[in-house]
Amino acid sequence: MPDFLKMGIVLMLVGMVATAVLAMTESATRAPIAEAKRQETLRILKSVLPEGFDNEPDVDTVTFADKRLNRREKPVTFYRGRKGATNLGVAFVVTAPDGYSGDIELMMSVNPDGSINLVQVVSHAETPGLGDKIVKTDWPLAFKGKTQENVKWGVKKDGGDFDQFAGATITPRAVVAAVKRGLDFFVEKKEAIFQPATGEKKP
Amino acid sequence: MSELTSREIVVNGFWHNNGIFVQLLGMCPTLAVTTSAENGVGMGLATMFVLMGSNMVVSMIRSIIPSDVRIPAYIIVIAAFVTIIDLSMNAYVHDLHKVLGIFIPLIVVNCIILGRAESFASKNSVFKAALDGIFTGLGFTFALFVLGSVRELLGAGTWFEMPVLGSSFHPSLVFVLPPGAFIALGFILVGVRWFNQRGDSAS
Repeated sequence: MPDFLKMGIVLMLVGMVATAVLAMTESATRAPIAEAKRQETLRILKSVLPEGFDNEPDVDTVTFADKRLNRREKPVTFYRGRKGATNLGVAFVVTAPDGYSGDIELMMSVNPDGSINLVQVVSHAETPGLGDKIVKTDWPLAFKGKTQENVKWGVKKDGGDFDQFAGATITPRAVVAAVKRGLDFFVEKKEAIFQPATGEKKP
Repeated sequence: MSELTSREIVVNGFWHNNGIFVQLLGMCPTLAVTTSAENGVGMGLATMFVLMGSNMVVSMIRSIIPSDVRIPAYIIVIAAFVTIIDLSMNAYVHDLHKVLGIFIPLIVVNCIILGRAESFASKNSVFKAALDGIFTGLGFTFALFVLGSVRELLGAGTWFEMPVLGSSFHPSLVFVLPPGAFIALGFILVGVRWFNQRGDSAS
């Protein structure tokens, strides 16, 4: 057998075996990965949504796409927490595109009366020790109970009511602006956001 | 390379030929991931599993691979193991997977792994190749653990996220940032060389 043929056949065999093993691994881990992701979402939702919901917010969802939620108008999933027929609140992810380094994703939850329940950072790449205080301190608690009217939206440096950090203004400014945009969107679309799901729409 | 005893393989892999401290291979994950002790250990163990698996398979197939195509064949084997680790970690240790994220696929191009496959596994029995993989991997883990600990202690004042240096200690942020990785590694290398040479002159 010519050498080049042998080489080709051997490489092909190695590739085929590797592919087969990977296919088996993928099918074995697909369910656990989906479950782990779901648990993670549920955990965040539990910590963000008002207490006492008795539905499954990760299934009771609706999606919207809007410039205010993220710049690229990617569809955003709204997770609705309800107790029986009462709306307790809704949680959704807004993206701040203007942080110090990359996008900052925030999970915010809003009560039906248009006040913010909680804001939690989902992912960011801000400078450790400076901008990442949005995660490592209880700074996000400052958003609790805020509505469009009862606070001046902006960091103190810009004449608003929210603290910035020493040495890091850009990150809090971006977060405050993103939360405000999310809140504006919520107030405008409140009816549609809480509309009961008509037929199961998979996100 | 003459026949090595198991004991020599263990000592060489872990210390005398330590991938980081002596050979300075695999700098990309070493410098990027070691912002904390936990990250270092996680990355090290993931690399160890890949190294052990790829060493064993390379040793098993060493007689049927034509030497002209051995490198692509090794790369396929390594890439398959990395993907298996990636999927398994995503499924079973989801949180660690989120932290190590993009660095897991990069294990493929870690030169320690291809280096061991080429220089050791392709010339030795399966048992010895596995032993070499485990202890080279442990040596790598140990190096990442040391570097991660130093950087976390100096840069954040914590160790495995427990505060150990009191509040009077002011963490120096630079150690968590990329330049700190080079600085810390440089001083650790000085320490390791000093320790090794001291032993040489004494004996």
